Amino acid sequence: MPDAAPAPPTPPANPNVLAGEFVGLRRHLFWLAFKTGILTVLTLGFYRFWMKTRLRRWYWSAIRIGGIPLEYVGDPIEKLLGFLVAVVILAFYIGVVNLLLMFASFALFQGNFAAYLLSFLGVIPIWFYAQYRARRYVLARTRWRGLRFGLEPAAWGYAWRSLLYWGLTLVSAGLLWPLMTFRLEKYKTDRTSWGTARLTQGGRWTMLYPSAKWLFIGIVAGLATAVIAFSSSPDNALLPGLAAILVLPFGLVYYRVDSLRRLTETKKMQEITLKMRPSSLRVFGIYVGGYLFAGILLGLIMGLVFFVTIGAFLGTAENFGTDTFDPEILFQGNHPVLIAIGVATYFAVFLLWSVLMQTYVTMPIMRHYASVLELHGADNIKDIRQRPRDEHIEAEGFAEALDVGASI
Amino acid sequence: MSDALFPPARRDHHTGRFFDGIVPMPIKAEVWVDASQRALIIETTDITETWPLLDVRLIPDQADKARLVLRLHGDPLRRLVLPDHRLLPDLPHATRRAPVIQRSKLFVWAAAAVASVGLIAFVLVPLMADQLAEFIPPEGEHALGEVTLEQIRGALSENVDGVHFCTKAPGRSALDQMQNRLTQAMDAPPQLTVHVLDHPMVNAFALPGGHIVLFKGLIDKAADPEEIAAVFAHEIGHVVSRDPTRHALRSAGSIGVLGLLFGDFAGGAMMLLLTEQLIAAQYSRDAEAQADVFAYQVLQRAGISPAELADMFERFRSLGGEISGIEAHFMSHPALGDRIAQARAAVPTGFESRALLSQSQWADLQTICDQTSTFDQAQ
Repeated sequence: MPDAAPAPPTPPANPNVLAGEFVGLRRHLFWLAFKTGILTVLTLGFYRFWMKTRLRRWYWSAIRIGGIPLEYVGDPIEKLLGFLVAVVILAFYIGVVNLLLMFASFALFQGNFAAYLLSFLGVIPIWFYAQYRARRYVLARTRWRGLRFGLEPAAWGYAWRSLLYWGLTLVSAGLLWPLMTFRLEKYKTDRTSWGTARLTQGGRWTMLYPSAKWLFIGIVAGLATAVIAFSSSPDNALLPGLAAILVLPFGLVYYRVDSLRRLTETKKMQEITLKMRPSSLRVFGIYVGGYLFAGILLGLIMGLVFFVTIGAFLGTAENFGTDTFDPEILFQGNHPVLIAIGVATYFAVFLLWSVLMQTYVTMPIMRHYASVLELHGADNIKDIRQRPRDEHIEAEGFAEALDVGASI
Repeated sequence: MSDALFPPARRDHHTGRFFDGIVPMPIKAEVWVDASQRALIIETTDITETWPLLDVRLIPDQADKARLVLRLHGDPLRRLVLPDHRLLPDLPHATRRAPVIQRSKLFVWAAAAVASVGLIAFVLVPLMADQLAEFIPPEGEHALGEVTLEQIRGALSENVDGVHFCTKAPGRSALDQMQNRLTQAMDAPPQLTVHVLDHPMVNAFALPGGHIVLFKGLIDKAADPEEIAAVFAHEIGHVVSRDPTRHALRSAGSIGVLGLLFGDFAGGAMMLLLTEQLIAAQYSRDAEAQADVFAYQVLQRAGISPAELADMFERFRSLGGEISGIEAHFMSHPALGDRIAQARAAVPTGFESRALLSQSQWADLQTICDQTSTFDQAQ
């Protein structure tokens, strides 16, 4: 019997450094996402708790550091339960508060705009609260080398800080965005643990300004476009306008990727640190390629459905002995077959879109991040021990009910 | 003892990695099946674990299909990682589901969630809306109606300035005469603002603050002015009971609550609209029936036969307004057949009607849309 333990494929030269890798295959993920997506549609959305759990299990098991994968141990039933708890609490808040706001808005402002604005504003703090709680749940259900991660319960503190820093960012016209990114990340990191070891976020918020350079160049180009278009002729604004349109999306991606790198490399857990060398260009390419591919594919499929439908109707018209086909009947909207085709197409497009986003955007980006990650100071891992379980009864229920929109 | 449940143990040993869930270091382990104990033996330099074969479970959805990750049923922490699947045939319950441990809790919360959403969307919100509608100041309500009217005019037309108002003066005065005849038959006539919109839809509706909108299509399809007056009286019924205002308040409360249930499922928005439509239909079935009853009384007192409403409904039906089955639940009006019968039954025996408009006035009303404007003097 050979004694070949499942060892990391290429052990790094320095045993103190653990390299990250991503081992999942796209076609496996495709089938998992497709299968669970169909079940979600067929169960009118109830299977989504199982779908999320299974997708996370797959992703987590695909990410390995030093050959040992993460493990996701979340349970779909606890997600469903958490969702129900959140619905009970939020139903009252949203139903009654919205109604009172609408009344006040009709009575005082003779319109419903004030009510929509206020009810939107009223949900924002709960939204941040839900975001933090969802993160706490996911971390509490994530393990590496058998040890749990954990996040301290401090969601309201996160909610008001988010409001404050978002406010500052808006008031400063975006100039204080790095401050918001840094402070909120520090709030979360400083409350995160792996086993008995606590993480700390080092660095300063000003270190994120270089990450924003392309964003600021894009904004300057945009402002220049506006100024030129108003002061001289719009023709002269074409070049800076084009530059702004090209640079701004890249600037956003560059900011996300580069700030992630800086924030990751300044995190510390006892003497353990992380190194990360992500490529913004690569991530940008994944976004552009993924959306283009998914868009073109879905466009082709919808075109095909359209022509097959018309063909089928031509066929039936012939069967009834009429040789003319009036395309108008397709748009009259009351035909039960057409309604069925319409509903089926809607769900199919929705399903396929989310599957393609998983396989051509989320997964490649995660694969890239995992493969450029390194853990330094691995010698210190052996002294860390397990932490107690965080029950967290309503799981990510608030985030689920409010559709906070975690990608997985 | 069944052979199928307990396959004969193989002599071969496997090498795996064991995580004890306390120390973050993988422990090299020798693993084999002990047939006599019907157990998986995991032996490391320090410890020996005995996992009953029936209790060994597979961790599903692994990205690395080559490896096997095992756990012990009832033990949340310990994991055994094997490099291949050779051991799998020895584990009869490897893919058995975890039991739902919080079953009763789950049912309680599910019932609570359904009950609270139902209670809030169907009881509390309508109740509050009915109460609050009484307290909205009339000028606020009127302005709200104007905003809604502008939205509807915009939504029904591709033009920038929306559907036009029909404003030809003789037609307008015929309409005013019709309005006077109806309001004089009421004890406390409400403040009304009546518009005719230049749109082929065969319909009419009431908006918050006493706005009543008649479409050109309705005037075109009506056989006589009395039929229009019947629909007019029905809409006044809505105004008197403040249905439009209550409806606006209700949907503000219920749409948010329902939105919670769907989350991001299939774009959520479509499901939400359908459900909201269903609820709105339930609300307004009562309101429609009440407005019909109101119309019978006013018409009768104004010397117009309530059967005119039946005639107009029959015209709706011949135009395809009658929908049955599942779709009927999404429509806010009670089945037309029932309403036609009720309207005919509301005509007292020996009822004598008085003429509403002269032939020339009726012709004027039919040509009210020969002159249109983006602004209605009626406002």
